[in-house]
Amino acid sequence: MDSRVHLDNISMKFGDFTAVHPLDLDIQSGEFFSFLGPSGCGKTTLLNIVSGFLQPTTGAVNIGNEPMAAVPANKRPTSMIFQNLALFPLMSVAENIEFGLEVRGVSKAERRKVSDRLLELVDLPGSGQYRIDDLSGGQKQRVAIARALAVEPKVLLLDEPLSALDLKLRQHMRTELKEIQRRTEITFIYITHDQGEALTMSDRVAVMSAGRLQQVDTPVELYRRPKTAFVAEFVGENNRLPGKVVSVEGEQVVVDCGDAGQFRGQVGARLEPGQPCGLYVRPESLQAATDQDVNRMDVSVEAVNFEGAHLTLETRHPHLSSMIHVQADQRAYGGQVEQGASLSLGFQVGETIVLPEDRPAEAAHD
Amino acid sequence: MIKQLTARFGGPMTLVVLLLLWFWLIVLVLLPQLIMIDYSFKPNLIPDQYGGPQDVYTLGNYQTLINNDIHRTIFFKTIWSSILVTTLTLMVSYPVAYFLAQLATAKQVMLIALLLVIPYWINEILRTFSWYLILSFQGPLNALLLGLGFIDRPIRFLSGDGGVLIGMVYAYILFMVFPLYNAIESLDNNQVRAARNLGAGLIRIHWRIVIPHAKPGIATGCIMVFMLAAGSYAVPALLGSPGSRWFTQIIYNWFFEGGDWNMGAAYAFVLLILCIGFIATVMKVFRIGLGDIGK
Repeated sequence: MDSRVHLDNISMKFGDFTAVHPLDLDIQSGEFFSFLGPSGCGKTTLLNIVSGFLQPTTGAVNIGNEPMAAVPANKRPTSMIFQNLALFPLMSVAENIEFGLEVRGVSKAERRKVSDRLLELVDLPGSGQYRIDDLSGGQKQRVAIARALAVEPKVLLLDEPLSALDLKLRQHMRTELKEIQRRTEITFIYITHDQGEALTMSDRVAVMSAGRLQQVDTPVELYRRPKTAFVAEFVGENNRLPGKVVSVEGEQVVVDCGDAGQFRGQVGARLEPGQPCGLYVRPESLQAATDQDVNRMDVSVEAVNFEGAHLTLETRHPHLSSMIHVQADQRAYGGQVEQGASLSLGFQVGETIVLPEDRPAEAAHD
Repeated sequence: MIKQLTARFGGPMTLVVLLLLWFWLIVLVLLPQLIMIDYSFKPNLIPDQYGGPQDVYTLGNYQTLINNDIHRTIFFKTIWSSILVTTLTLMVSYPVAYFLAQLATAKQVMLIALLLVIPYWINEILRTFSWYLILSFQGPLNALLLGLGFIDRPIRFLSGDGGVLIGMVYAYILFMVFPLYNAIESLDNNQVRAARNLGAGLIRIHWRIVIPHAKPGIATGCIMVFMLAAGSYAVPALLGSPGSRWFTQIIYNWFFEGGDWNMGAAYAFVLLILCIGFIATVMKVFRIGLGDIGK
């Protein structure tokens, strides 16, 4: 089944407000694809455009190589799981799941077979006759998934479906969603502002901000090689050291961070000497300095947080305004870090990314 | 409950509130009804005969209704026409209520609600008279239809039931729109979107999602409109023709023209029983309780 989704020059304006700037995107058949971004970044608008609830201002949606422009929302091969699930409370669980088939004129016996099979798939066998209000949050979630799958969509659209669940259940449902996606081989398009969800489940993630695609990449690449300052700060924890580019030497760049000194990092995106930039180091990349370290800085520990498997340290550099967060193995520093202690930290050039500063004009523009 | 009331208002105040409540229920609601029922089972007597040998309970008044072909016909016609009015009002009000509750902007809701309410600032008789003018043989509606070429001869709107139906639908539309609006407004728009996303067309979305959700509102509206229609006097009196007499007109005639309060009471009691029967049936059909209607 070809369930490729192709967005061609899609943009969306509401009056004077541009919700989505023109963008192109290819989502592969059977891919678990996520849109990640803060609320108001345009991700839900994109989902509504794919489902047909919104007509884009420009551009075209193709699903499985078929243009969708003239196809109304109720005829598209997409199925949506709503943020509040939007199950039909006056129908039983089975009736909910069978609704899409009822619309398509499938016989009652045939419908029952499908709903039984899907209830098995989502691990709720034999609960077809229950009322929706009798179910727990997690069970409702599964019914919503079964209802969306019943119509055999090419593309499943998920609008933050886990946000109403508690943490434990949310983590469990992540695994489950991924598993269902693997078994059904349907293209999943997942909308979330929770990077944990996006990173754990997705094959690829599109990070969005202010109606623009910031970066489309695998979770690992997003984490290791962010291409914009927004991605570096939004995905995972990061320490940002503001500075200016001194020189670019191939893949490496030397950054002057004023009184804090000069550091060396990887070029994350196009940089010019003299350009204001940010130097990004993950908390876990900061370790006790050794003689080999090119990048070193001396900090004082202001707080030590014990988090079980590891410690997080909040440290301060005398010449940097923001705190430096360090994540350390319990046994590191001899297990003897205390508030007020001085530490000498080192970090690898390969784990340090330098990115141009987000142009503030661009952010203010939207 | 009494404890809570006492705790909140103190003993004497609670007593006053309860007494007022019972006064209202017994003296203003129950007693008049009981007196009317009592009247309906007695023959029409002159004061001299009170307590005399003829002052006995009898079914005579009810027998009159059963034996009088014309009155019986008008009775059933009133039921039928009231059901028709209720159905028409529902059909007219549903799209308006749906639009107001789900599609309209706050500003549009204000404007339309205002337009719906403004006519009610005028007395019902006057409103009905204006329809009399609009629908009359040489009135503006016929002039308009003639002018637009839809008809080549004026229509006698007021000669059959047409005038009464139009007048009543117009008079009671608010009593249908607002309960419907309240019910539909609480429907989560995502339900509609979900149904659409699963492939449902317009009719199925309404039939399977919106209408079941709006059921209590539909029932409330239907009950109110039916009761008002069945008990209406002004509209059939003004817009009706001799052929479209309403049962209330006969009751009126017994009381004020025939001077036979006992007969009038019997007729009115039958109408009351009918209305209660209608409410019970609607509640049964829609499977709703009294609590749902109160909402």
